[in-house]
Amino acid sequence: MIKIVKRDQPSKAIFFFTPVLAIFLTLVAGGLIFFILGFKPFEALKFFFIIPIADKYGFSELLLKATPLCLIAIGLSFCFKSNNWNIGAEGQLTFGAIVSGGVALLFYEQEGFYILPIVILAGAIGGMLYASIPAILKTYFNTNEILVSLMLVYVSKLILDYLVVGPWSNPEGFNFPETRQFSDSAKLPLLFEGLRIHAGIFLALAAVVISWFVFYKTYLGFQMKVSGFSLKTAKYAGYKGKKMIILVFLISGACAGLAGVGEITGPIGQLHREISPDYGFTAIIVAFLGRLHPVGIIFASLVVAITYLGAETAQIFMQIPKYTGQVFQGMILFFLLASDYLLFFKIKFIGSKK
Amino acid sequence: MNTNLKISNVTKIYPGCVANDNVSLEFNSGKIYALLGENGAGKSTLVKILSGVIIPDEGKIYLNENNLNLKSPSDAKKNDIGMVFQHFNLFETLSVFENLIIDSDEQRESLREKIDLIMKKYNFPIDLDIPVLNLSAGQKQKVEIIRCLIRNPKVLIMDEPTSVLTEQETSELFLSLKKFSEEGILIIYITHKLKEVMQLCDEVAVMRRGKLVSVSEIKNENIESLANKMVGQNLKTIKKKKAKTSSDQLIKITNLNFTSEDPFETNLMDINFSVNRGECLGIAGISGNGQSELFQVLSGEIISEKKSIEFNNNYIGDLNPQERREYLMAFSPEDRLEQAAIPQMKIFENVALNNFKSSNFFNNGLINENKIKEHSKKIISDFNVNTDNIELKSQFLSGGNLQKLIIGRELITSPDLLICFNPTWGLDVGAINYIHETLIKINEQNKSIILISTDTDELLKLSDKISVIHKGKLSKIMNAEEVTSEKLGILMGGAN
Repeated sequence: MIKIVKRDQPSKAIFFFTPVLAIFLTLVAGGLIFFILGFKPFEALKFFFIIPIADKYGFSELLLKATPLCLIAIGLSFCFKSNNWNIGAEGQLTFGAIVSGGVALLFYEQEGFYILPIVILAGAIGGMLYASIPAILKTYFNTNEILVSLMLVYVSKLILDYLVVGPWSNPEGFNFPETRQFSDSAKLPLLFEGLRIHAGIFLALAAVVISWFVFYKTYLGFQMKVSGFSLKTAKYAGYKGKKMIILVFLISGACAGLAGVGEITGPIGQLHREISPDYGFTAIIVAFLGRLHPVGIIFASLVVAITYLGAETAQIFMQIPKYTGQVFQGMILFFLLASDYLLFFKIKFIGSKK
Repeated sequence: MNTNLKISNVTKIYPGCVANDNVSLEFNSGKIYALLGENGAGKSTLVKILSGVIIPDEGKIYLNENNLNLKSPSDAKKNDIGMVFQHFNLFETLSVFENLIIDSDEQRESLREKIDLIMKKYNFPIDLDIPVLNLSAGQKQKVEIIRCLIRNPKVLIMDEPTSVLTEQETSELFLSLKKFSEEGILIIYITHKLKEVMQLCDEVAVMRRGKLVSVSEIKNENIESLANKMVGQNLKTIKKKKAKTSSDQLIKITNLNFTSEDPFETNLMDINFSVNRGECLGIAGISGNGQSELFQVLSGEIISEKKSIEFNNNYIGDLNPQERREYLMAFSPEDRLEQAAIPQMKIFENVALNNFKSSNFFNNGLINENKIKEHSKKIISDFNVNTDNIELKSQFLSGGNLQKLIIGRELITSPDLLICFNPTWGLDVGAINYIHETLIKINEQNKSIILISTDTDELLKLSDKISVIHKGKLSKIMNAEEVTSEKLGILMGGAN
């Protein structure tokens, strides 16, 4: 007889083991899907997960994709750890990109070392402003932040659409829905000749270190955590709980905004309609796969970034639709949530009683 | 006709706990049965099985020899089992009549006649056409009972019915229950209050940790014997020594008012009282009469006028809880899991919630984990919290241990005044005893307590002075020796 027994206390080992288990199960299930579709599972998985990062260029692409995922997920971890369900990072990314893009366009004919910092700052502020909407609505009007933040994603995408088609479209651009190219002073420097990896990765790494320090070592982090779990407790302890909620949203918005800046001032170099392949949504998976822990998030962002690259490689070489990448992302989250069951319950095999 | 209800070998297992372990019981109409046990003893599970809410893993229920095989609450209703839950299932904004007919398929007119008859017969004077929210708790309970009676039940189960009632409403309820019993309805009365069992019931079944430990007739039992069966050990009775009369005033509340914007909160009107050093002031009342608001005003969660609260010769009405702690006040809120502690956080993190300057828990904005842990270990050993792992998430502590941790956390600063709100709510007898002893000790050390509680026995046991809160107003403050629970009951009901 199989019996499911509640654990007295979640096991620490299992806590870090389940993400690995989830990735393994994803691979198995992915292989199975490839098999059913008529591909050789091992070959397909190889094209998906190994070929894309087999060379220097591939590795740089991996870091390029992992950078925004990591940055956003770090920001989201502040929200999620304090029970604020901000799922609108994609919108905050877009709005951050709009604001920083606007600033970059102001300087499009100018050169100067001061331009890039202003552009970056503008992106962070844009993300913060956009994240403050669900935060303020939640704290002062009791709205549900899940709905508000999600719906605002589409608003920001439509604003971007309007801008790149209308007022900000490139006057010499033959009516293509895109802005002018930014000047070189408004672009993040590339790290290596011929590779696309850019200085944005340092922003992500800085975010990792700072977030770890703030959350685990400071009174501010402690107050955020308490306020997130229970506003009543925060009030009882004498904290300003509402301010804490707004603060975590601002941090999260700033990170998403920075990710947006990284995209448009890095590989893209202008604003157009498709600045993000849903990094803001995928980062939710990254945050949970990384157990909301800064170091975990680094690894998780690399793993999930592969699914972006793999989808492209698999499409080119094996004619597998590139949306399989999203299927893989979905499966990772699915298996992670499922295997989290093991955190709180253990399965016991016991002999028949009678 | 005689009704016979039989529970046969019922077992229900939840992950990590056996809620009912092979329970067999038999009930016959004409008697009132008590099902007695501490919180978590398995009473509620058994009752939920009887009312079809939970399906047992093993075992059967027979009514007059028929196997009932209850799969849902409506099965129970069909089989003439009526149930009045501890928490009312009424629509507050609908009228009494609408609430009564909501789950009935009978014609409105005939039903109205039937209800009128029932109300006349049992002397339940309730206006059928006013919304339920205008009713008192006792009246709401009557509505629930009528809802069961409409169906001519053979069995009526009452789950902790007196927790929201005044003394007077309780005796009215008992009269009605006795009448029902005489008319052949089988009554099962679930409670953890021993006095009520002695007053009302004919037979008593005691449960402990999911098991049935005894079935006996009331005439062969007394309060002590039942208490010992319920807890499974011999309890020592605690007695409070009379406090040395001190005239050294510690806290004084003057003309304190609180008007809430929330319609579900109670406004506080013109609160005035003072507490001397070494004294325990008990504040009685039926829950929802402003206790929670009073607690929050006293703790600083709700800020009031600066001069309305004078503590140790300082005006502190406009300070928040953290600032008030610096003046040596401590607070133990009612809700352990949602306010006083955070279940998902570790024990030592919960200890850090009581952050006062001299604790050095946080230096220059950084967490001083060693200091917090050291402090936590001290609390755990000083206050008998049954664990040695301060890294444990506090959700894994039992209610009693969590409450000890909270009280310990609040007391380790040796505050001059502890304000606690229902400190033993939902705890088992052992933990209640410990908390009571602790509170008495505080008074003996010449520290003061404001005890807001809905448990009259607790108040009479611990208080030196007692006042009653009703609809946001405090009654005059009485000496505890002059007060009886009957007198409190009258005041709690709103009479003068």
